[in-house]
Amino acid sequence: MQTTAKHARALKTADNVRIGPGQIILTLLVILFTVFCFAPVLLVFISAFTDEMYINQHGFSFFPAQWSMNGMNSVLRYGGQLLQSYGVTIFVTLVGTFLGLLIMSMYAYAISRPGFKLSRFLSIFLLIPMLFNGGQLAGYIVFTSWYGLKDSLLLLILPLCVTTMNVIILRTYIANSIPGELMEAATIDGAGDYRTFFQITLPLLKPSLAAVGFMMATAYWNDWQNALLYIVSNNKKPLQLLLINIQKSIEFLLNNNNVPAAARAAMGGTIPQYSSTMATVIVVIGPIMVVYPFFQKYFVKGLTVGSVKG
Amino acid sequence: MKEFFRNTWKHRAHVIMALPAFLVLLFIMYVPMTGLVLAFKNFDYSKGIFASDWVGLGNFEFLIKSKNTFLNMTRNTVLYYLLFTAVGTVLNVTIAIMIDQMAFKRAAKTMQTLMIIPVFISYAAVQFIVFAFIDSRTGMINNVLGTSTRFYSKAEYWPWILLIVKVWKDTGYGSVLYMSVLAGIDTSLYEAANIDGANKFQQIRHITIPSLIPMVTVMLLLSVGNVMRSDTGLFYQVTRNNGALYSTTQVIDSYILNQILKSSNFGYTAAASFFQSVIGLLLMLLANFSVRKIEPENALF
Repeated sequence: MQTTAKHARALKTADNVRIGPGQIILTLLVILFTVFCFAPVLLVFISAFTDEMYINQHGFSFFPAQWSMNGMNSVLRYGGQLLQSYGVTIFVTLVGTFLGLLIMSMYAYAISRPGFKLSRFLSIFLLIPMLFNGGQLAGYIVFTSWYGLKDSLLLLILPLCVTTMNVIILRTYIANSIPGELMEAATIDGAGDYRTFFQITLPLLKPSLAAVGFMMATAYWNDWQNALLYIVSNNKKPLQLLLINIQKSIEFLLNNNNVPAAARAAMGGTIPQYSSTMATVIVVIGPIMVVYPFFQKYFVKGLTVGSVKG
Repeated sequence: MKEFFRNTWKHRAHVIMALPAFLVLLFIMYVPMTGLVLAFKNFDYSKGIFASDWVGLGNFEFLIKSKNTFLNMTRNTVLYYLLFTAVGTVLNVTIAIMIDQMAFKRAAKTMQTLMIIPVFISYAAVQFIVFAFIDSRTGMINNVLGTSTRFYSKAEYWPWILLIVKVWKDTGYGSVLYMSVLAGIDTSLYEAANIDGANKFQQIRHITIPSLIPMVTVMLLLSVGNVMRSDTGLFYQVTRNNGALYSTTQVIDSYILNQILKSSNFGYTAAASFFQSVIGLLLMLLANFSVRKIEPENALF
């Protein structure tokens, strides 16, 4: 049904080949907005390959006169720390996303079982955190002083692992897009509850898992706040915290003109400069830019499902 | 009751399946709720949450007395919510309609892909991009205009800067939802309008916009529940947490984050946090109640 509607629409535009002035103005406006959105991203890439001296003298520019690979090269100066942080971010993102998808889809499956009396309580239990929560401060004190998890990677993983909205999206998908008869038939054929879930429901849940999974992965990848609050040791610093540290050291140098020249020279190896900072930004945002187009169609779907409650 | 236990036993596999997520919710979301009692206590790290001394409403008194900080951040939180929601909604809908109306479908798709990209850039990275535009010496804006405005110490510019950053980051993504509504409009409506001689603008006004209204209403109402919560990264990272800008950039969330990092004034911070949670709850209930009245199937509960 929907495909035929889309088809009809495509035909309609094909018929209206005469492109009026209205259409041209419209297209120009959309192009303008696209430029507004994309130009800053482009600037990151250009500045990363601009000569440091040039930025220093002429400022950031879309059309620099001098290019250089120094920015990219000096990113390698963070060397070990950058690799370490990459490792931490990738680990947290993968573990968090897979763990979250697994336990959230099990929860969603359980609360959507017909005849399961406890599911009413479980649904309310799921909903309350969306309405009311302890806030950042209470979380901070409980996680650090009660659980003793300061400087633990668990605090990068668990807080983003289960979110009410994501469970609702998964539950809606199970309720609306997977026929209940399939699950019943599996049970009649003698498949146990776990087998029904893992072999029937989970495979059919894939489109929804892709949507939720991608959104979760970007949330993990971009999470700076939990890292800033909880992570202290260098070997547990994710990429976003590395970016924050770079910014802080720039600020320190800018605000302390009386740092002796010798000390500056000594720090030379770690003084982040304009082009190398932008190169670091590329390294941090690059992977998402590469992966995102492949997931675009899924999260568009996911968004639509999430907006309609089942 | 007995029947309930029998039912639960019969569904024990489902109970076990729900258990891991249940435990995460319990320990991550529920247990910290007890920390809200700190708003009524004089928190002492060595004594812990429960053994700390009660101070009644002392923290709140202190909060109200320091009215500059408290009123200022509450005002900022609410005003930014209003500004971002008003401008955001209008732009999301406008961009969605514009892309939908474009005759060059493939180009439209590509442009939409490019527009969404900023939403995936963390604020920790965004602040470097903003810096490249507004720094007093190397910033592009100052260089193009030939000025050397010190944006990072002029609070009056920041509502505009933050609005632009927010629009840049979220509009592409925000329009996706409305695009999906537009894709669902019955095309025969447009054909009929065409035959009746309605021009494009009339079609948009009488077909497109009315069909978006329910979704817009729902999104607006649901957002009411989050008035007290802000996009912390925008206010903390993009402003570089600059004290000189607090008068226009400090919101409740960034204030609390700052206090935690400085680990000072926990009682006072807890009072602010308590205020935020309670108002948030009331607004959320109000929001859901109104959605329920208007579009029952979109209510959260």
